[in-house]
Amino acid sequence: MTCDRLVRLAPLYLMLCAAGAAGIVQGAQDFKRKASILLKEEPKNPKCFAESKKDFVCFWEEDEERAGSVDQYSFTYAYQNEKNSTCPLEVLPSAGGKKLFVCHLNRVQMFVQLDVQVQREGVQIYNRSLLIELLFLLDPPKSVTVSTTGHQGQLNVSWVPPSLKYMDDSMIYEVLYAPADSDFGQVELIQACSEMILRGLEAGTMYQVQVRVNLDGITYDGYWSAWSDPVFTETLPAELDPLVVSLTVIVSFILVLLCLAMLLSHQRFLIKKLWPVIPTPDSKFQGLFTVYGGDFQEWLGQTSGSLWLTSPFILPEECPSPLEVLSEFNLCPPLSSPPLPPKASKALTRGRNEDGVLKKGLLGRESVDGVDTVQTNGWRTPLHDDWLLDRLREFQQHPVPTSQCSLLESQDTYISLTGNKHTEGEHMEDTLEETSPLGVLFASRKTTLSESHSDLGSVQPSSGCGNLSSQSSFEYPNHAWIARDPGYTYMAVADSGVSMDYSPMSRADDIGKVVIYANDYKNDVPPHRRPFLVRQYPVDDDD
Amino acid sequence: MLRKTCRGLFALLLLVLEWTRPGLPSPLRPICDLRVLNHFIQEARDAEVAMKSCREGCSLTEAVSVPQTTVNFEDWEKKNAMAQAQEVQTGLWLLQQALGLLRTSMTDAELNGHIDTATRNLHSITAVLRTLNFPEYTPPASTAGLEGTWSASSAAELLQVHLNFLRGKVRLLLLDAQACQQDVS
Repeated sequence: MTCDRLVRLAPLYLMLCAAGAAGIVQGAQDFKRKASILLKEEPKNPKCFAESKKDFVCFWEEDEERAGSVDQYSFTYAYQNEKNSTCPLEVLPSAGGKKLFVCHLNRVQMFVQLDVQVQREGVQIYNRSLLIELLFLLDPPKSVTVSTTGHQGQLNVSWVPPSLKYMDDSMIYEVLYAPADSDFGQVELIQACSEMILRGLEAGTMYQVQVRVNLDGITYDGYWSAWSDPVFTETLPAELDPLVVSLTVIVSFILVLLCLAMLLSHQRFLIKKLWPVIPTPDSKFQGLFTVYGGDFQEWLGQTSGSLWLTSPFILPEECPSPLEVLSEFNLCPPLSSPPLPPKASKALTRGRNEDGVLKKGLLGRESVDGVDTVQTNGWRTPLHDDWLLDRLREFQQHPVPTSQCSLLESQDTYISLTGNKHTEGEHMEDTLEETSPLGVLFASRKTTLSESHSDLGSVQPSSGCGNLSSQSSFEYPNHAWIARDPGYTYMAVADSGVSMDYSPMSRADDIGKVVIYANDYKNDVPPHRRPFLVRQYPVDDDD
Repeated sequence: MLRKTCRGLFALLLLVLEWTRPGLPSPLRPICDLRVLNHFIQEARDAEVAMKSCREGCSLTEAVSVPQTTVNFEDWEKKNAMAQAQEVQTGLWLLQQALGLLRTSMTDAELNGHIDTATRNLHSITAVLRTLNFPEYTPPASTAGLEGTWSASSAAELLQVHLNFLRGKVRLLLLDAQACQQDVS
């Protein structure tokens, strides 16, 4: 019977023994951890600490080589106004080949001075006066719990304080928190409270939190306990603040409205730049495409000459010139003028060679003086150049009577340039006015042209060529060239519809030497200019 | 200096309340906040530190009886509240007598200030105990022959006992006062 009971209780005994052994081992580990803290914190010997209101431990460390046996040492202590007492010592191995001599006091009294002495073989080696309530080394807080609070960047930390009566309000705690992947953390201090909210944390980040405890030093004091085991918790992920979102939307909407307002204010400019209007000749050829379906010949036949001449795209050689035909081209023999065709052709050739410009038009406008440029490129018709040369050569070889020069007259424009080398334009203008019916022509349009002198040099042939041409071709159909004097120079020109400046030839002999060039247009009309502008300039002989 | 003045005024206010109390004793509001006692403890520590540095003119002319400051928590908890209060009130009275005797032999002005502060604080603590419904203390005829007392022969020892007594038994009594426990519950 007894054996049966023993057999049944044996496992229980074994379990208790195992638990006891585990507790002892754990206790030893805890003591060693605290001893290591004191070895760093406390310089005095023996090093003493109280774990609770009932436990008080003193120890010192010695090298194993120099340490004697435990019997060689004696630990005596005495409270104030009491007799000495002896504390039994025990030896524990320590790291680094050292020994710990430990004394556990079995009677603890606080708020009274305690004198401690350590002797080795009768010789005092350590002596210390202390107050036990000022040497607490508590266990780290247990059950540290970290949880989210429902707000971004916050964590709620709570723990169980050491169970020490009368000392709860004297405890202070340090909370260490840091991102899990960081080596640097922050410490928050709190007193007499076992809960704390961490603020200002990064959203969506894993944090590790540790807590340790100490006493405030007013009534009780001691050393900071070891850190509790780290607890890892992740903060709430970042959320969009509704206020931030709404403000962002409002600001974006305002910016969009501003952009739209800017675009609308510059709508015409932007449309002009992005979708430039492709110019069409419809406005210049009224009815050409709508009525005649693009048949230009038919349109020419049906329209009046004014329409034809008002078009800026009309080939200059087809535009009847309003200039006076003083004489026929020297292709006609009765003319006493020097043979113009060869030289004209030469001039034309030269002009072609030099500038590529063969046609120049001289329009009687008051702003011709200010016209330096010639819209040359736009009026060039290679076909007409060849035809003119051919005709010139033909006339040269086979002079045609005056009456037969109507072909030229109707198609070419001839101007006469006086041989007067005076550069005074007024005098020449007066002379030309007297001799040239063009002056009448241009005078009639004086008001119109004078107002638009600034535009004459620009590409507005409709106001020039057409206006001038509208009257000349039918008014002077068969006029022959009038030889003024040997100084007159002649040049076959084509009315390009653009007023221009060019250096007229001073002598007929210099026709071939004339340099036909285009000058820059200068919108500069002298106040005394007559409507008919035929300027006289010295010829720059480039030969 | 200002803080000391404030503390003194606070203690004086308590005294005035005590003196001007109406004829019919009305229950005083219990003072359970230990921050007041913490201030007294800090001032007592300052006085002890100052007394340790004193060399001349800071000695007791005769040995004085001081309360024992030893606290064994197990033994303390075994005592009832009345016994605890009696022990604390006796100790406060003994300290007042001893500080009064030291004051007469002290010549250092700074140390005299500390002693005066300590004396006022002891009176304040007595008033606080009265608010906690502890019975009125009747001082004995003399300090001789009292149990649970020690003898102090120096000013430093006296102030050390004064400090330990406040930190120990006085604080335990206030912390565990029934009147304060009723307020918490």
